[in-house]
Amino acid sequence: MATPLHDDICQLVRDPINVAALVHHVRAPEDGAIFTFDGFVRNQSHSRATLYLDYEAYETMALAKMREIAAQLHEKYKIHRVAIAHRLGRLQIGETSVFIAVSAPHRAAAFDACRFAIDTLKRTVPIWKKEYFEDGAVWADGELPPAPAATPHAKPAS
Amino acid sequence: MATVSQSISLKVLFFGRLKEIVGHAEESLASTDAATIEQLFALYAARHPELAKFRPSLVASRNQEFAAWDTPLHTGDEVAFLPPVSGG
Repeated sequence: MATPLHDDICQLVRDPINVAALVHHVRAPEDGAIFTFDGFVRNQSHSRATLYLDYEAYETMALAKMREIAAQLHEKYKIHRVAIAHRLGRLQIGETSVFIAVSAPHRAAAFDACRFAIDTLKRTVPIWKKEYFEDGAVWADGELPPAPAATPHAKPAS
Repeated sequence: MATVSQSISLKVLFFGRLKEIVGHAEESLASTDAATIEQLFALYAARHPELAKFRPSLVASRNQEFAAWDTPLHTGDEVAFLPPVSGG
C-alpha cells in the first residue's frame, strides 16, 4: 500500500465523534487557521418534531468517496490537513453526525475547502438517514449523486 | 441469440428504502440474464414490483464506483443500487 501523501483522517464511527481529536490532528505549527464544520441532528424536519435519526452507509464506498474528497481538497486549495468523520447508527437530537476540520497556512483556503467538503459529501458519499417522528419514519430526501450517463464504449443492445 | 449464455456470479447490495423492499441488504446471485446493471435491476424489479418506480431516482455502482446503467457485468462484480444520498 502506498504511503498517503497527506496525513488526513477519514472515518466512519458508531460512537460519538471525537471532535477535539480531529481538530488536534489537523493543527500544526506551520498553519495559521483551521475551519471546522459541525453538522448535528436538528429537532425538527419540515415542521415535524424529530425523535432521532438512524444513519446507514455503504461503508467501503463511503470511505473511498470521503478519501476522494480529501484528495480533491489538496488539489484545489492550499491547505495542510483534512479530517472528515461521519457517524452511523442511531443519533439523538443535538448529536454531531458529521464533522470536518481543515487546516491551512491562510484562512481563505481552509474556509473554501471546508465548504466544498461538506457540499460534496452531501452529494456524493453513499450515506442515508431515516428520520423518526411520533407518528412514523421516513427516509430523508436526498441528492442523486452524479453518475455516468452511459459507458464510453457501450454498444447498443443487440 | 447465437451467443451462449454464461452464468456470472455477482454480489448485489441494496440500501435505504430499497433494502426494506427487497428484505435484505446483500445477496449473492448467479445469473445468466444480467449482462448489464440495467438488466440486473430488471431481474429484481420483476421479483419485487415496488422497486420499479424507484428506478428514475436511483444510481448504481459497480465495484464501488458510480456506474452507468449500461455497464457490462463480469463475474465477481459487486453491484449496489443507491437511493439519493442524505448524509451530513
